[in-house]
Amino acid sequence: MTPTTPIISPGATITAAPARLPDPLPRIPLVWGPDTYETITHQISRITEKPQPWWWWPAFLITSGLLTGGVLAATYLISTGVGVWGSNNPVNWAFDITNFVFWIGIGHAGTLISAILFLFRQKWRTSINRFSEAMTIFAVICAGVYPGIHVGRFWYAWFMFPLPNANHIFQNFRSALLWDLFAVSTYFTISLIFWYVGLIPDLATLRDRAKSRSRQVIFGLLSLGWRGSTRHWRHYEVAYLMLAGLSTPLVLSVHSVVSFDFATSILPGWHTTIFPPYFVAGAIFGGFAMVLQCMIPARAAYKLHNLVTIKHIDVMCKFLLATGSLVGYAYCMELFIAWYSGNPYEWQTFVNRAWNGDYTWAYWVMMTCNLFIPQVFWIRWCRQTPWFVLLVVTCINVGMWYERFVIIVQSLHHDFLPASWGRYYPTWVDWLQMLGDFGLFFTLTLLFIRFLPMIAMAEVKAVLPMANPHYHYLPADRYLKGEDGRYPTADHALAAAYGPPAPPRTIVPPATEPVPAFIPTPEGTGQPWGAVAEFANAQDLLHAAQAARQHGYTHLDAWTPFYVHGMKEAIGRTRSRLPLFTLAGALTGLAAAVTLQFYLMTYYYPTIVGGKEYRSWEAFVPIFFEMTVLFAGFFTLFALIGLCGLPRLFHPLDAHPTFHRSTQDGFFLTIEATDPRFDVDQTRDFLRSIGGQHVAVIER
Amino acid sequence: MPIIFRRSRDVQVRQLFVGVLVGLGLFVFAWYYYALPSYTRVGYTPEQPVPFSHQLHVGRLGLDCTYCHQHVFQSPHATVPTAQVCMNCHNPRKAHVKGNSPLLALVRESYETGRPIAWKRVHKLPEYAYFNHAVHINKGISCVSCHGQVNEMPVVRHDQPLSMGWCLQCHNEPEKHLRPVEQVTNLTWQPQGNKSMLDIGFEIKRQLQVQPPMHCQGCHR
Repeated sequence: MTPTTPIISPGATITAAPARLPDPLPRIPLVWGPDTYETITHQISRITEKPQPWWWWPAFLITSGLLTGGVLAATYLISTGVGVWGSNNPVNWAFDITNFVFWIGIGHAGTLISAILFLFRQKWRTSINRFSEAMTIFAVICAGVYPGIHVGRFWYAWFMFPLPNANHIFQNFRSALLWDLFAVSTYFTISLIFWYVGLIPDLATLRDRAKSRSRQVIFGLLSLGWRGSTRHWRHYEVAYLMLAGLSTPLVLSVHSVVSFDFATSILPGWHTTIFPPYFVAGAIFGGFAMVLQCMIPARAAYKLHNLVTIKHIDVMCKFLLATGSLVGYAYCMELFIAWYSGNPYEWQTFVNRAWNGDYTWAYWVMMTCNLFIPQVFWIRWCRQTPWFVLLVVTCINVGMWYERFVIIVQSLHHDFLPASWGRYYPTWVDWLQMLGDFGLFFTLTLLFIRFLPMIAMAEVKAVLPMANPHYHYLPADRYLKGEDGRYPTADHALAAAYGPPAPPRTIVPPATEPVPAFIPTPEGTGQPWGAVAEFANAQDLLHAAQAARQHGYTHLDAWTPFYVHGMKEAIGRTRSRLPLFTLAGALTGLAAAVTLQFYLMTYYYPTIVGGKEYRSWEAFVPIFFEMTVLFAGFFTLFALIGLCGLPRLFHPLDAHPTFHRSTQDGFFLTIEATDPRFDVDQTRDFLRSIGGQHVAVIER
Repeated sequence: MPIIFRRSRDVQVRQLFVGVLVGLGLFVFAWYYYALPSYTRVGYTPEQPVPFSHQLHVGRLGLDCTYCHQHVFQSPHATVPTAQVCMNCHNPRKAHVKGNSPLLALVRESYETGRPIAWKRVHKLPEYAYFNHAVHINKGISCVSCHGQVNEMPVVRHDQPLSMGWCLQCHNEPEKHLRPVEQVTNLTWQPQGNKSMLDIGFEIKRQLQVQPPMHCQGCHR
């Protein structure tokens, strides 16, 4: 569309508006090849349904062996005391906190992919978000082991939480360590909620495909009776958006708060304002490396090349390049500021770190792995060759571990007084504990890919070309080619090699058993619940729902394997009011945090910290934020469950012979008997007249 | 799809949910009621080897606390008397108050052999908590504040929780419990005239410069 009125002031030279060219780059689809809803369901669900490939058990044996070593080390530590670790004056934090920060950092990629990329409408995230969210949760579990056991007396771990007790001891809410506890607990809880909410539709798919009674019951309970109702989808989509909105600031805050553990101290090498952004960039860097580390082998082992395409790896490598360079900038800036500040203590720490100290080797391992090696990702071949990417991300994981080691151990071993300098030597318990953490992480990952769908099926189905009602199907010989008949980029050629996408199917697959006109349910009342009809694809269902509305029906529902755009309006519903609950939760959490901190720290047990007055509020802000997010997340989850009326383990529709497709590849329209226009015969005939198949009336 | 769950399961799941919530609530309530020193310590009334009645000796006969617990004004410990103190009255060869009572056989035996009577200890603070009787008494904290109305107890019972939180309540607001130092062993003392307990408390707090420590090292040395 060309502007009809000049927008440039009179007198200026008006150049002709350039002719609007047709978009020269055909859009590369996110899923490569002729996949349909059915093949994707099958491809992903089958992994959890069939016995695992031969390598799974040896891999599991190794990881669970490492885990056992970690458990033994922890048992020895708890029964003997923290003296069995190498940590001692002056290096009182060593492997324990190094591993803690390492694992917390790993978790960040998952939330970034699931939340921030969701808000930015980066739909390529759909094939990797489930995997990375799971990794977030497992990584935070690995990290959470350390605050639990490094206190030595494990049974006093509850002292970390502000629980009312007979001693009237409460935590110091102005301490960065308590902020850390709140940040990590909130992060874990919100990540778990986010992951679980995302899993619900896929758990329902597994339930509906399950053959054995135990799988039916387990997935039936876990999926809470999800059936793909549009009345539920409209709450679900908003709840997911709310959770993404809550997680987004959380990603940025968690590692900032972890960095405060160091930055609020006065130790040279720690006392830096660059720490929060530096830590967050490093966390995303390390997290993406770990996602690739696990994803590339899983992609090859389970042949997921069509879903996790080479373009996904390419984009993630670009993330690695960007965040790695940010981290490298922070390394250099730390060094520069140490010199520029003129602070002799700061400068001697950094000279020791980078040039002539005991841990200089670790510093250069870190620099090489995190700053220099990832620069190869400027080259396309390096980003698009999985085995090479795997090598690089292994280096990055090593480098990110060394980054934390250097920050923690090197800074501590060389502080103000030469008299208190000293080296750190890890003991075998330290090593076993660290390997055990890796064992825990990979054991959980292996169990996850064994038992749960590792790719978000419902979300991937929604980004298939066939789910887009505006997608224009080109003939196969012109697929992804420009007007000159050539592939515009090498990426187009790569994607085209998988073949063009499949068009949506136009006929409903036949039922395996005949569908009677009236379907009784066990312990039924004899009254009709409503009428149901199946449609071939989302567009047909949308039109059918609109036709039913025009015909005067109001008590409609559409049942789809993914949220179909425009469907809630078609069945006469509006946007969900769930955000009000999220807001209520956020305000409740904020009020609770304000009350808790001011009551405890200024009234109940007034304590002076750092010479601040009792009522100074600035140090309370991190926990204000964390509790706001925590409560908002809980309210969102409970509002979703409540507004959808879940759990709904039994539904009359289950008696319909093809209704199990509603969570896989089927599209259903129902008209309930509560509708004033409902009539058993007329409604059934109406549904047939608008093209519905397998039409039946279900007993209530 | 075959029907996996029976119709009644939905109600049962909700009942279970409510049941778990109620159970959790009961557990929390029970924990805070039964597991804290306010329940586990208060009311502990062990039977003593000699049925010494504070109610008789203090309440009816009017003995002062310091007659037996002599060093409470000078010492961190309120001493438990030896049999010799008992024998000031109960010695058959001297005052001969119930000198031949079989209930006092253990006291006579202790007096003769010099071996102390194995009293059962009622109040015991943890070893990591430092408590000084003298400083509390000399700043106007009465015996009754921690030990209760011993003058009414035939058998001594644990009257207060003696938990850290309970200590801190008084360290936070000592004026609620202060009284003139000469009245600390008077277990029935009440404020006289038109002055309230709080007025007196503030006055004594100022006079004696009562500043209870609120830091960890005050008690955990």
